[in-house]
Amino acid sequence: MAARLEIALKPHLFDAEGSGLCRMIHDYFGWHVGSARVIHVLMLDAGLNESELEAVRTEIFTNPVTQVSSYGPLARPEDFDWAVWVGFRPGVRDTAGSVALEAITDFLQRPMPPHAAAYTSKLVLLRDAPLSREQVDTIARELLANDIIQQWRIYAPKDWDSRHGIGFILPKVDLAHTPTVQTLAIGSDDELKRLSDERNLALHPRDIPVIRAYFLRPEVVEERRKVGLDLPTDVELEAISQARSDHCNHNTFRGKFFYRDPDSGEEAVVDSLFRTCIEAPTLKIQKKKDWVVSVLWDNAGVARFDDDHHYVITGETHNSPSNMEAYGGALTGIVGVYRDPMGTGKGSRLIAGLYGYCVGPRDYAGPLRPHLHPRRLLDGVVEGVRDGGNKHGVPTVFGNLLHHPSYLGKCLVFVGAIGLMPKTVKGEPTERKKPNPGDLIIMAGGRVGKDGIHGVTASSESYSEHTPAGHVQIGDPYTQKKMHDFLLEARDEGLITFITDNGGGGLSSSIGESAQMAGGALVELDKVPLKYEGLDVWEIWVSESQERMTVAVRPENLDRFMELARLHEVECTVIGRYEDSGKLHLTYEGRTCAYLDLSFFREDFPQWEFDAQWRSPQSRGLTEPVLSEPQDFGRLLCDLLASPNLCSREWIQRQYDHEVQGTSAVKFLVGRDRDVPNDAAVIRPVLSSNRGLAVTQALHPTYSQIDTYHMVEASIDECVRRLLAVGGILDEIGGVDNFCWPNIQYDPEKNPDGRYKAAQLVRANWALRDMCLAYGIPLLSGKDSMYVDGHLPGAYGERHKVSGLPTMQFTATTVVPDVNRCLTMDVKMPGDAVYVLGITRNELGASEYYEHLGHVGLNVPRARPEDFLKLYRALEQAVDRGLCASCRAVGRGGLAVHGAMTAFAGRLGMTWDLSRVPVDGDLPPSALLFSESLGRFLVTVPPDRIAAFEELMKGLPAGRIGEVIEAPVFRIRASDGKELLNVPLERLRQAWCGGKG
Amino acid sequence: MKDVRALVLTGFGLNCDWETAHILNLAGAQARRVHLNAIISGAQRLEDYHIFVIGGGFSWADEHGAGVILAMRLKHRLRDQILSFVDRGGLVLGICNGFQVLVNTGLLPGFQPGSWERQAALVTNDCGTFRDQWVHVVFNDQSPCVFTRGLEAMELPVRHGEGKFFAEPDVIERLEKNHQVVLRYATEDGHPAGGAFPANPNGSIHDIAGICDPTGRILGLMPHPEAFNHWTNHPDWTLEKERRRRAGEPLPEEGAGVLLFRNAVHFARTGEQFVA
Repeated sequence: MAARLEIALKPHLFDAEGSGLCRMIHDYFGWHVGSARVIHVLMLDAGLNESELEAVRTEIFTNPVTQVSSYGPLARPEDFDWAVWVGFRPGVRDTAGSVALEAITDFLQRPMPPHAAAYTSKLVLLRDAPLSREQVDTIARELLANDIIQQWRIYAPKDWDSRHGIGFILPKVDLAHTPTVQTLAIGSDDELKRLSDERNLALHPRDIPVIRAYFLRPEVVEERRKVGLDLPTDVELEAISQARSDHCNHNTFRGKFFYRDPDSGEEAVVDSLFRTCIEAPTLKIQKKKDWVVSVLWDNAGVARFDDDHHYVITGETHNSPSNMEAYGGALTGIVGVYRDPMGTGKGSRLIAGLYGYCVGPRDYAGPLRPHLHPRRLLDGVVEGVRDGGNKHGVPTVFGNLLHHPSYLGKCLVFVGAIGLMPKTVKGEPTERKKPNPGDLIIMAGGRVGKDGIHGVTASSESYSEHTPAGHVQIGDPYTQKKMHDFLLEARDEGLITFITDNGGGGLSSSIGESAQMAGGALVELDKVPLKYEGLDVWEIWVSESQERMTVAVRPENLDRFMELARLHEVECTVIGRYEDSGKLHLTYEGRTCAYLDLSFFREDFPQWEFDAQWRSPQSRGLTEPVLSEPQDFGRLLCDLLASPNLCSREWIQRQYDHEVQGTSAVKFLVGRDRDVPNDAAVIRPVLSSNRGLAVTQALHPTYSQIDTYHMVEASIDECVRRLLAVGGILDEIGGVDNFCWPNIQYDPEKNPDGRYKAAQLVRANWALRDMCLAYGIPLLSGKDSMYVDGHLPGAYGERHKVSGLPTMQFTATTVVPDVNRCLTMDVKMPGDAVYVLGITRNELGASEYYEHLGHVGLNVPRARPEDFLKLYRALEQAVDRGLCASCRAVGRGGLAVHGAMTAFAGRLGMTWDLSRVPVDGDLPPSALLFSESLGRFLVTVPPDRIAAFEELMKGLPAGRIGEVIEAPVFRIRASDGKELLNVPLERLRQAWCGGKG
Repeated sequence: MKDVRALVLTGFGLNCDWETAHILNLAGAQARRVHLNAIISGAQRLEDYHIFVIGGGFSWADEHGAGVILAMRLKHRLRDQILSFVDRGGLVLGICNGFQVLVNTGLLPGFQPGSWERQAALVTNDCGTFRDQWVHVVFNDQSPCVFTRGLEAMELPVRHGEGKFFAEPDVIERLEKNHQVVLRYATEDGHPAGGAFPANPNGSIHDIAGICDPTGRILGLMPHPEAFNHWTNHPDWTLEKERRRRAGEPLPEEGAGVLLFRNAVHFARTGEQFVA
């Protein structure tokens, strides 16, 4: 018999959750709701008797100081104008429910019956709410719930059943299905193609003949017959589909590109962007830099931190799921990327998290109807990363946010993770791992359900109304944090020979790939613990249920490994063993259901091919706009500071625990008001040492409107400067590239500009190669996410394809020998001299200034690494000698925007004379102030260090443009001596805070 | 000199254990990170330690109220061990999630020692969401708290979603009368924040940021002293660096948070109550 426990705050207490909801209803819709109170509901289906129910109510679930509770309805019809119940759909991860069951089991000290369950939900009572049912339904749909994962019911007082309330709603998964293994006929290529479409296998047409040929090969047929197999099974085809997906196999980056530029006549065949632009430069650089420890093969890259430790870094995206269910998608994204360092080498401890969001305009009011409005989407994504990061105990140290209408089709959610590992464990290098034949295969962490089935193939396709919603999940940082702590102890005892995470593709990927290293694997799929019965065998193999790792353990270490697992209460199950059979051999209840040669995954698949046709910006008709000089620079600067892509994002970072672990040395937000973004964050991951690790990120997708080559250049150059600006070392910069690109496969109807987008990708990769070689940056890790396209309903029932701007987010790290040398961007003391380092050019193309005035332009900023490096080396020395008081890499918005920020961050004024700015040619004030030329810094230097600083900068483009002053104003004189701008700091600050400061 | 041993609790979503152990070591203790189940199983015993720290984190993901489920487990599995630890003069420190645990066990405010009755709560911040920010706190020099002796004011980070201290008026009155309110959120000039956001980051009644039991040996607080273990943890340290360099003063090394732990270690080392 089920029971429903309702828990509410005592009526005289302030309901912060309800009050937040009223505020949001007003912000989103402009509707008035006087008050909202939340009743938390716990449906218990665990066979508890009456005294047990009463005991858990009072002892666990009710705080006598603040709460009231009852097994009957707490709400009376006179308590509300509208009541909205919101609960999960069946099968959606309900961490609170499982924690409740865990607590009850622990409290009662007896095991629960096998199918016992607890489900959480909430009932929201709206009072003083003069709304229609339709309006309440909008609130439920837009604010309280997402119909992909949740269900809701709306009650008016007259509908309310005072005796039974909402009744009993048990979202139990009941599949009533007996697991089977099907065999599938593949008589012809067409038949396999049909099968692929029906089963959503997303097999590439070029792969189909190869797959068929394998199963028809006489020796394969013969070997399969011996294990009782004939036609391919569904398990096998699903496994192949996962292994061949673009997400797992990076077919696009490994494809062949036929690049042509009809304007210049240039033609080139690029055989694998990965090999030529990522792998080759990184290997070349690794030869020269002994601090590059392990790259290009594992879940994350490994670099030396100090004599005893390595750091581990990777970056991921979680775009498609976040686009459908922002909170769950982003939460799953951050928790998922955290498994990469955990599964790198023999495992590392997480020390930092990173984020980057690209979404549509927050106030979008146009005719297109994305699944989630950008505002709600961003709010959800922000909260998802908050809960995932905070509950994992990992500081979220740095992040990006960019609004652009092109992301209405699909948002981008970048998540990054950094870990730390000892150099050796029990005398063995920690970065190395290899499963050996005979090692047991252990699945650790969560259980397997239908979650995320076909997630990998779905993210390899564009979003449309047919995208299966089943791939949306909600991550569980609690379960994973327990597993994290457990695995590190097991690692330190030398119990782990190999470890990798179960992310995209589930066991299929993790065991499929590790079996290649061992030489074979035998897996008994009936041993895999399930969340509920009724999964088909292929579903067990490819499910992407979260919070799971695959671990190889020698048989003699199993007992100790399991003992530690019990201590930490982490579920671990032996599901098979590695072998030297050369086969991937899967069984279910003793019968073989897959038997594939490992060599089959490595060979014979044709490369994907792309036509790539570049059109130069000029031939696309781009020109510089015809603009005269503005007259009101003060107001212009304020409006730029208020623009969505430059204004304060304190509201995001403030929700993220960025100081847990006690390692924070330079925070993302700095200044006297602690709200202005700094160039980079620095942590001190080994607490007993003063050595630091600096990390930053940059992205410049608007430059892609002119040339993706320069988009990538700008992002990498900006990262380098940002690391220097905080005191990082130039020679130990490592990079992570995250590409997010629209579909590049040409199709005359569905993707008519596919060839151009392919050429954009080629050029972006060329820039990546050139910049990494020029600056000596190895790519420690990187990922690509293609198909950033959406098909959005318009005003008349039509659908529009919206492709995201080609985007590459660059993440860069370096070491800081001693954190005491670190700098922040805020100006420090009146009387300090202000310098601009680097040359300002007429490079306003795709700048914030042009965008604000409605133009794109042509003159996009370009990198000149050889020239820049001379300046960078000099600045590195200046920082090393402690000559600077503040340093800022000048980026989006240009000199005036960044100057204003350094001033109000330091609560000190500045005077500038633009005639002193190092320039190329004769530039009008607008270009001096707003050009986004690369290679530049704003630096302040105390009077007694000026001589030494200028000595270092001799022969380099360094202009002493002014002074930090006590008076809280920002004053700029033009080259002709005329005052261009004289604005109180408070006005600049207010503009930047959007009035919220 | 007597060794001072400190146990830092781990497991079930608790975090902050590395830096808490680190700052205890800086303060002169020998700190050890110990999983809750290792105490429950008897593999580790509280009686072998002088200081017991329940640190920050999200035990059981904060579900069903922050600290509620860990409090229940302590109460039902370790009740006698904890009582005898406290009776012997042991020090208990709850930081953030640990403070939430201590009020949910009833060890704080602990008007009747051993009664395990809940009389105070830490509820959702008035702003409705998790916040990470630095606050000013002022210490109550009348308080019996042994951790904060000699301390007047400090800056520390808070990082929580459920940190609003709440109790009914009679409980608040008793806390004040007994000087069990150890620290309050304050403005920059050292006056209690008077409820004003963001100096008081969560809406705590009487700006309460931390309380102790009547003996002063059990302390719970929302701010994180262990996160100010190094001077570069402070948000303004790069300005302070410039000020000191120009004044010819040396740069410091430690953060002020160490002082609180040093007090604890000093008390444990010199305290006469200890049998160990």
